[in-house]
Amino acid sequence: MSAVTIAIPSGRLLDGAVRLLEAAGYLAPEAWRGTRRLILPGMDGTITCLIAKPVDLLTYVEHGAADLGVAGKDTLLEQGCDVYELVDLGFGFCRGVLAFPEESVGTWERNDPLRVATKYPHVTERYFWGRGRAVDIITMHGTVELAPQVGLADGIMDLVMTGRTLAENHLVEVAELFQSTARLVVNRVSLRSRADVVAAVVERIRAAVTASTAAPPA
Amino acid sequence: MRLERWQQIPTGTRDLLPHETGRVRETVAGILDRMRRWGYREVTTPTLEYLDVLVRGEGGTVGSRLFKLVDRDGELLALRPEMTTPVARLVATRLREAPLPLRLAYAGQVFRWREAGSGQLREFPQIGCELIGAATLEADAEIVTVAVEALQATGVDQFSISLGHVGFLRGLLGGLGLADPVFEDVRTLLYQKDFVGLRRLLEAHDAAPARVNALLALPTLQGPSALQQAARFADVPEVRTVVEDLASLERMLRAYGAWDAVTVDLSIIRDFDYYTGIVFEGHTTALGVPLLGGGRYDRLLERFGVSRPATGFAVRVERVLSAEESAADAWAPDAVVAFENGSRERALACARVLRARGLTVAVEVQGRGWEEVAREAAARGVARALLVRGQAVVVRERDGREHTVAFDELAAGTGEERVP
Repeated sequence: MSAVTIAIPSGRLLDGAVRLLEAAGYLAPEAWRGTRRLILPGMDGTITCLIAKPVDLLTYVEHGAADLGVAGKDTLLEQGCDVYELVDLGFGFCRGVLAFPEESVGTWERNDPLRVATKYPHVTERYFWGRGRAVDIITMHGTVELAPQVGLADGIMDLVMTGRTLAENHLVEVAELFQSTARLVVNRVSLRSRADVVAAVVERIRAAVTASTAAPPA
Repeated sequence: MRLERWQQIPTGTRDLLPHETGRVRETVAGILDRMRRWGYREVTTPTLEYLDVLVRGEGGTVGSRLFKLVDRDGELLALRPEMTTPVARLVATRLREAPLPLRLAYAGQVFRWREAGSGQLREFPQIGCELIGAATLEADAEIVTVAVEALQATGVDQFSISLGHVGFLRGLLGGLGLADPVFEDVRTLLYQKDFVGLRRLLEAHDAAPARVNALLALPTLQGPSALQQAARFADVPEVRTVVEDLASLERMLRAYGAWDAVTVDLSIIRDFDYYTGIVFEGHTTALGVPLLGGGRYDRLLERFGVSRPATGFAVRVERVLSAEESAADAWAPDAVVAFENGSRERALACARVLRARGLTVAVEVQGRGWEEVAREAAARGVARALLVRGQAVVVRERDGREHTVAFDELAAGTGEERVP
């Protein structure tokens, strides 16, 4: 039987995902660094690791191009894909928040239709609908915090890790929409048709997560 | 270069070329043939249904995935998104008095709105069957067996049927003793297959740890030991019934000769407002999405005013085909027939004789010369080219060998060893 394929995201979660696969004994320490390859062979031949754009990651898993994947909860919430979300991997903590410019933070208090720029149009829309508020969403792909400064939007909905970017751009958080960490997701068919091998990988990764939270590195 | 509308087809639809259409037809015919042998007779329902019919069958949320239109009288119509509801309507109306059980099969195009870029089709063929009027495990065993045979008929490699039961999850959830709003949240998380969120929610509500663990272990409740594991929660009556039923089904499916292709899988999560008993999916390792799905739905017919237990399944033909190796289009007719001036009648008679023997025969319609016709036929892989010239029929084999037979001999059906 061919190796189990795990998709891990480039970008913000790459480091944590690689460390996890190292801790689980699937990737050789430091083996991936400096390489530009998008497919990494696992140490013992049981897994193949592919590196995907975060926004595409769930697509790989949903369609079965990868059996498992590491994805941020933020992406899971936004894309609503048909995959099994099995393990909270603990790393990559961030929050999805709504933020407005300091000088116009009062617009949030008024029940006016708002223009919000975001990389998370579905999550944002659901949040406003859930509160019975009107919103015009402007979907962006990067540097969302720029939008209010140039009059493109009243406010933004974006990920916050330390809050520094918000502060530097004179934005104030007005609401938290979600908290996110990296999750282990599994294709629905892989879970069945390759049950034994896939379950073994899930358990080994789960054990590595438990070990790392029990004994945090000094 | 600008792509004009006339060069495109709507998102999520497909044109099928002759060899692709052939594969679909062949697959559909193979599946229908298996169903026919089990006594399932094919029905045809309209592509369009009244919106009311579909909403009645599938609930209000179906609206968001329908292609709707308004006819000139202002009636709301929709393209059918699946076939079970139309068949239920048929059973509740024109087949209301028909003796039970009813074994019905169907094959047709269905239409679902899907996000562009999702890689999912908006129009695809669905083929399935329904066994209506029998509430027994025997009926479930039959339908699972027909599902196994349907996949066997397609020749898809290494498939398996995962067999579960909605009562198991319902029982576990009921046993949690949660208040209604929390219960709804738990269901939503289960449908989303979000087991991380599920753990948080259940822990926050102090649900019984044993049952919480059972729910969280759901994705692994499959395979030979699944029933034993599930039996640990048999203090809930509904769970006990499920475990007993699945054990009986296993014995029956062994007798039906289908068990080898079946795995007990209690982790299957399908709509448990719709399904009332067993649920199953068909998979192959070659594909990340199910090939077929089905189960028992005893309450659907009530929505159409008759009470009929029912069980059935539907196959995604295009997925079955995508899981198979596709061969290049190597088709060619068995023979081409050309003729000289004045020999048309004999040439057509000759073609008629060959067609009557079941061969595919193309008559030269472009008026090209014999050498060109024969050369082109050989290049396309046509086994034989025939030239009708008066009383003589020149037969050229693909490898260039040539012989002549008398027209009368050919038409009389003699000399068969020398012509196709």
